[in-house]
Amino acid sequence: MTFITETFSSSLMQRALLEALIAGSLAGAVGVHVVLRRLSFFTMALTHATFPGLVLAAILGVSLFLGTVAFGLAVVAVIALLGMRRDLDSSTVTGVVLAGGFALGVVLLSAQPGFSKDLSAFLVGSILTVETKDVVTTAVAAVAVLVLIVVPHKELVLSAFDPGAAESLGYRLVLLDLIVLVAIEITVVTSIQSMGTILSVAMIVAPAAAARFWSDHVVTTMITSAAIGAASGFVGLVVSRQLDVAAGPSIALVLGAAFALSLVVAPAHGLVSRTRHASDDGVAASPPTPVAT
Amino acid sequence: MHHLFVEPFQVEFMQRALVEAVLLGAFGGVLGVHVVLRRLAFISDALTHTIFPGVAIAFFLNTSLFFGALAAGALSAVLLTVLTRNKRVTSDAALAILLTSFFSVGVIVVSRGRSFSSDLTSLLFGRLLTVSWSDVAETAIAMAVVFAALALVHKELLFRTFDEEGARAAGYRVALLDFGLNLLITLFVVAAVKAVGTVLVIALLVTPAATAQLVARSVPRMMIVAAVTGAVAGWLGLLVSYNASVEHDIRLAAGGTVVLVISALFVLVLALVKARSLVAHRHMLPVMAADAA
Repeated sequence: MTFITETFSSSLMQRALLEALIAGSLAGAVGVHVVLRRLSFFTMALTHATFPGLVLAAILGVSLFLGTVAFGLAVVAVIALLGMRRDLDSSTVTGVVLAGGFALGVVLLSAQPGFSKDLSAFLVGSILTVETKDVVTTAVAAVAVLVLIVVPHKELVLSAFDPGAAESLGYRLVLLDLIVLVAIEITVVTSIQSMGTILSVAMIVAPAAAARFWSDHVVTTMITSAAIGAASGFVGLVVSRQLDVAAGPSIALVLGAAFALSLVVAPAHGLVSRTRHASDDGVAASPPTPVAT
Repeated sequence: MHHLFVEPFQVEFMQRALVEAVLLGAFGGVLGVHVVLRRLAFISDALTHTIFPGVAIAFFLNTSLFFGALAAGALSAVLLTVLTRNKRVTSDAALAILLTSFFSVGVIVVSRGRSFSSDLTSLLFGRLLTVSWSDVAETAIAMAVVFAALALVHKELLFRTFDEEGARAAGYRVALLDFGLNLLITLFVVAAVKAVGTVLVIALLVTPAATAQLVARSVPRMMIVAAVTGAVAGWLGLLVSYNASVEHDIRLAAGGTVVLVISALFVLVLALVKARSLVAHRHMLPVMAADAA
């Protein structure tokens, strides 16, 4: 186990670890809403279309965090507006915005000197360069997002499973959707630091998708998911240090492995237990449906 | 006119780039119609990422990128076809995890090389201005194959798109058709990788077809409009990037500029359609696809 303490002996690695733990658990918790509402592709589009915001903020010298959040919210608005058109499918709209936004970032960045080097940091993350103030920003953002999704928890879960019922109970669906979208956007921005624009969707989707194999209960799923996110951040950093590979891809691969493992061995809904109980009543063959609390 | 059509294309590398961009734009538009009608934007995006390790490995083994990518692409087309038919995992989450895991492997392979950043950049965003005549020939052959295959099973693909149950009942092998379409998308992505890179290919597939969907009322017309949109964007994008660099000394990544032009055309057509419906006080008939579940 000494290699673990060795890995985190420098203050640089300690900061990276702290960042990975906070961003990982936040992404894990918010990811449950992404998976419940099937917003993975949307989240992917957000990460890509937020990219020009990152580039613009870097060029203008304003806060990366605020610049990216502001741009990301504009992207959310564009997708929502285009999504209202009946002649365009939502996945098509998402694809159009994803590609256009990403190209805008690439073109903006290509006009700057030092194109390649900056670009790869934006794309696959640079968690090893986080400073103390970045970690503080991430922590503050994490607390804000948790408050945002914990306070209206019941309403959010109800509207995810049964929008009709939520509406008839008098909840404002638009407001609830907006809360989820803002929470996802802020989470995307915090995870871009460690994972980059292309891989941060893994940090949000994989822990939640894995956690759904372990539990039927939304709150338990969220806690499990946050734990998987944080643990993957930790293991990913250790692997990255030991094998001398980039941290972002290393964390993404650990997340992928955590999902594959859960898919097979999770006692509640894993393939192994499914096969074992398949003959019982056929219930096991239906997709896992979490119970709203 | 001279200055728009002839002058920028007097140098040979611009001629090669023009042929390549117009080929990819036109055939991407045609294939993209199937992508948009079948709502495969996310699957296509996933394919662009999952072939990345194949491209990266071929790049370092110094073998043809084309065949390296094709091998990885065929593997990912199989995995994606299988995964998205498995109803137990929500398919969008599975796609997100698969694509980030594959992509991470690619990044790690590239990071082993000596010039990580510039290699990553050229693989991700392509080098439209440095394609050779043999690359153009490869692209032309790939496009001919894609077009011939689409023409051969045109009726079957559309039948399956608008009425999956009907197609199955009529004895068509739906799984085989799905796999075939995934394979064609893969072939297109592979052919386009060198010119526009893995990340921006999705724009060639989705945006021209989405633009066409706003105005065309039958599938063949939609294909024609999409092909014209893609081809025009290829030419216009090169022109903008050339003029910015020659006249204003601003370097704009050629591939990224082509994609931005496609997005601009989409926005323009959207505005025109909107204006026309406001002026004429009537709504466009929704394209068939909007109602086909």
